[in-house]
Amino acid sequence: MIQREGRNGARRVNSHRFLPAACVLILLAGAAAAQTPALSKQPPGFGDFTQRVQQYMKLRNALPNQRTTKIPAKIVDRRQSLAEAIRETRPAAKQGDIFTPETSEAFLKVIRGTLRGSNAANVRKTIRQGEPVAGVHLTVNGAYPEHLPRTTVPPTLLLRLPRLPDKLAYRIVGHDFVLQDTEARLVVDLIPGALP
Amino acid sequence: MRQIRWLAFLFLICLSRPSASLSAQDSTLPLKSGSVRFAVIGDMGTGDPPQYQIAQRMLEFHQKFPFTFAIMLGDNIYGGKTPADLQKKFEIPYKPLLDAGVQFYASLGNHDDTNERFYKFFNMNGQQYYSFKKGNVHFFALDSDYLDPKQLVWLEKELANAGTDWKICFFHHPLYSSGAFHGSSTELRTILEPLFLKYGVQVVFAGHEHVYERLKPQKGIYYFTEGASGELRYGNLRKTDLTAAGYDKDRSFLTVEISGDDLSFQAISRTGVTVDSGSFHRPGAEQHAP
Repeated sequence: MIQREGRNGARRVNSHRFLPAACVLILLAGAAAAQTPALSKQPPGFGDFTQRVQQYMKLRNALPNQRTTKIPAKIVDRRQSLAEAIRETRPAAKQGDIFTPETSEAFLKVIRGTLRGSNAANVRKTIRQGEPVAGVHLTVNGAYPEHLPRTTVPPTLLLRLPRLPDKLAYRIVGHDFVLQDTEARLVVDLIPGALP
Repeated sequence: MRQIRWLAFLFLICLSRPSASLSAQDSTLPLKSGSVRFAVIGDMGTGDPPQYQIAQRMLEFHQKFPFTFAIMLGDNIYGGKTPADLQKKFEIPYKPLLDAGVQFYASLGNHDDTNERFYKFFNMNGQQYYSFKKGNVHFFALDSDYLDPKQLVWLEKELANAGTDWKICFFHHPLYSSGAFHGSSTELRTILEPLFLKYGVQVVFAGHEHVYERLKPQKGIYYFTEGASGELRYGNLRKTDLTAAGYDKDRSFLTVEISGDDLSFQAISRTGVTVDSGSFHRPGAEQHAP
């Protein structure tokens, strides 16, 4: 059996071979195509956000407990100890540290534009099908609740947002837009009420 | 006290098992020498008796059709993900199959935790999406909850370099479905289908809808939904023009055999009844002389 690496180990690719995928994605962006970044580039207007994410990653990657394990009990232990270490390292973290007011505006513009664009019905359907849970109160540095589904983030939206390091992901929880540390299962920051 | 609770739990499972007189269905699969044999389960990780009963049926069927691995279509572990949950919702029900050497390859659903990719029994090797090869078949496990540009670039590269006769993708959300609860994932379809067509993917397995459905080939691709190996939405299948066959009256699992250019399948219910079966030739391959 041959097993190949995926997300965490993908090699850099030769861009011209994957032009069809890029074309599909660009077409999907529809009316906003002019603002659509190439697959390999960050969309414009998010420079400050990207910097703040990098600062978070630098801090986070300097912590112990980075080593992964396949042992079930240790997977949970590692997750919890990593989350605790992150909290201790940024005890004063608050909403808006990464999604600053200016950055939030840029995100809201993209999110709401995507939800009003030519592909809006499909995008909304994707969110609904991901079974987003409403009425959950999330806080920065708080745990992403154990029983909460990951939810599904529309790929058309992901195309237009800044790329994230592998250990972070965007989530949609009710009306909130969340930046999650997936390995620590921790809320890094959020934009409340970002989705109508 | 904890042991007593477990014993009581297992006792209840035994009580609630379907009648022992309903023996597992005979295999309709050809059992050809050297074939690739696998099972398909989805939306199973409840830890409730029906999941255990399906696992028992799989074990019985394994005696007749010794599949060597199983692919998992997401929602592998519902609710809590503690070590006890992983035991109750995976290791205990499938223990006899694990002991028999059956390997499980997971894809992640919306109810899964990303950290499940580290869980050794899911064979994901720490990856949210990955591929593996068995015989002349290349499998691609995708994370359809987070289909970001990086994953799409990876997928295109993997498909382009697959170098096998068969290319099979599996993930959580069905691109085509007649399920009443969710239906087709149309946005994902607009993104994934062009890649599948360009690189000759022949078969796609998905879950999410808690029913079994085999779709009529769409643009030459065979789609199966198996989202009822633990959960069930009884009567939720609206048979549409898309539907080739379906079953929404009980839990089920699917078994598949690939030999050369032929794929055979058999879907089996919790009570051991074959609810669908058949075979097809690999699209694009030359037909054998009769």
